[in-house]
Amino acid sequence: MTTLTSKNAAVALAAFALLGTVAGCSSAADTASGTDTGTTTETDTNSGTDSGTTTSGTYTDGTYDASASYQSPNGTESIDVEITLADNVITAVTVTGNGESPDSQRYQGEFENGIADVVVGKNIDEISVDKVAGSSLTSGGFNDAIEQIKSEATA
Amino acid sequence: MSALRSAHRFDAIGAPWQIDTAEPLGDDVTTAIAERIEVFDRTYSRFRDDSLVARIAATPGVHSFPDDAGPLFELYRSLYEATDGAVSPLVGRALENLGYDRAYSLRPSASAQPVPAWNDSFAWNGRELSTVRPVTLDVGAAGKGYLVDIVGAVLRDFGITDFVIDASGDLVHSGAGSLRIGLEHPLDPTKAIGIAQVSNGSLCASASNRRAWGDGLHHVIDALTGLPTRSVIATWAIAPTALLADGLATALFFTDPERLTAVCPFTYVRMYSTGRVDHSPDFEGELFV
Repeated sequence: MTTLTSKNAAVALAAFALLGTVAGCSSAADTASGTDTGTTTETDTNSGTDSGTTTSGTYTDGTYDASASYQSPNGTESIDVEITLADNVITAVTVTGNGESPDSQRYQGEFENGIADVVVGKNIDEISVDKVAGSSLTSGGFNDAIEQIKSEATA
Repeated sequence: MSALRSAHRFDAIGAPWQIDTAEPLGDDVTTAIAERIEVFDRTYSRFRDDSLVARIAATPGVHSFPDDAGPLFELYRSLYEATDGAVSPLVGRALENLGYDRAYSLRPSASAQPVPAWNDSFAWNGRELSTVRPVTLDVGAAGKGYLVDIVGAVLRDFGITDFVIDASGDLVHSGAGSLRIGLEHPLDPTKAIGIAQVSNGSLCASASNRRAWGDGLHHVIDALTGLPTRSVIATWAIAPTALLADGLATALFFTDPERLTAVCPFTYVRMYSTGRVDHSPDFEGELFV
């Protein structure tokens, strides 16, 4: 549900932050009344398992980190996501929330449990839905984030 | 879903849309869709000077609506009653006062006041709206969902019955198969809190941070207080039409779901600011909680 309008409010875009989309995230930071988000860079810290173990997989085994910021009712907040890939399968997911308010800590806590339940042990190519419905202006944030990690891992 | 290989993408009423079909849509179809959306926008947009809603906001009197207005006003009336007045088409002025206005000033200009009562503001006879003073209508609670249904009807007019329309949070599936829809985390678009399964029906999402512009200021307005809601932060409703699903998704911010089943049987998921999630017992899908 939205109000009928022919323009996209720039502020609506502020709610849109995605793993690795540095430009989008920094514009989010700009409109967030000077909150320091600590910038949203995705640091590829492939901690590299030895190359000898690379099997038939398309993705390079290792650990991948990404940070993302988002707009919450408490301002701009961020999370860090760490995914471990082995033989094309996500074997571990760690989500660290940086929210300071009790509410944010609770949400992030909920989701830290949630995503681990969903993702661990499933092949990365199988984590897909037809559509996404929610609060961002793009449908597909979830798949996009996975795509981002996939492209990093194949690079 | 897999058979719908062709995607038609465009922006309409402030959001990206995508229509998936088996074959690419012809120019005649896409033109008909664009024209139909323009007619809808010219009637209901609060954001353009030449709309019917703008004329109603400027001039009291008797205003004739197009035929499509009937179902929209009927749904609004049902939701208004089921939410004791919290869902109202009269929140337009409150949104403007809070800064969600045509110029996107996004600065509150007046203190919050309760939205005027329906019966004090206008009379609706099924075709005409009669007002005695300027009234700022806002059909944002169900308007986009309704437009999704209307675009679906245009496709059917051209004999297209297998399609998915995704108007950024308002989705309709028609035809064979079903649709798996990720329920986006309201505070983090890179995450999903669950997956819903929809076949020949609609799922509409509503989240209070979708258009937020300041401390506690967003576009889901409680008509009883004139202020944005706080306790529910996101809702998803699944119903036979997008008009219903969109309106119900909004109403879930304000009232007990049991009261809304009088409007239409539906299923839902909703998330509170406490992080808690509740859902209807017959919700089809999974939740990652």
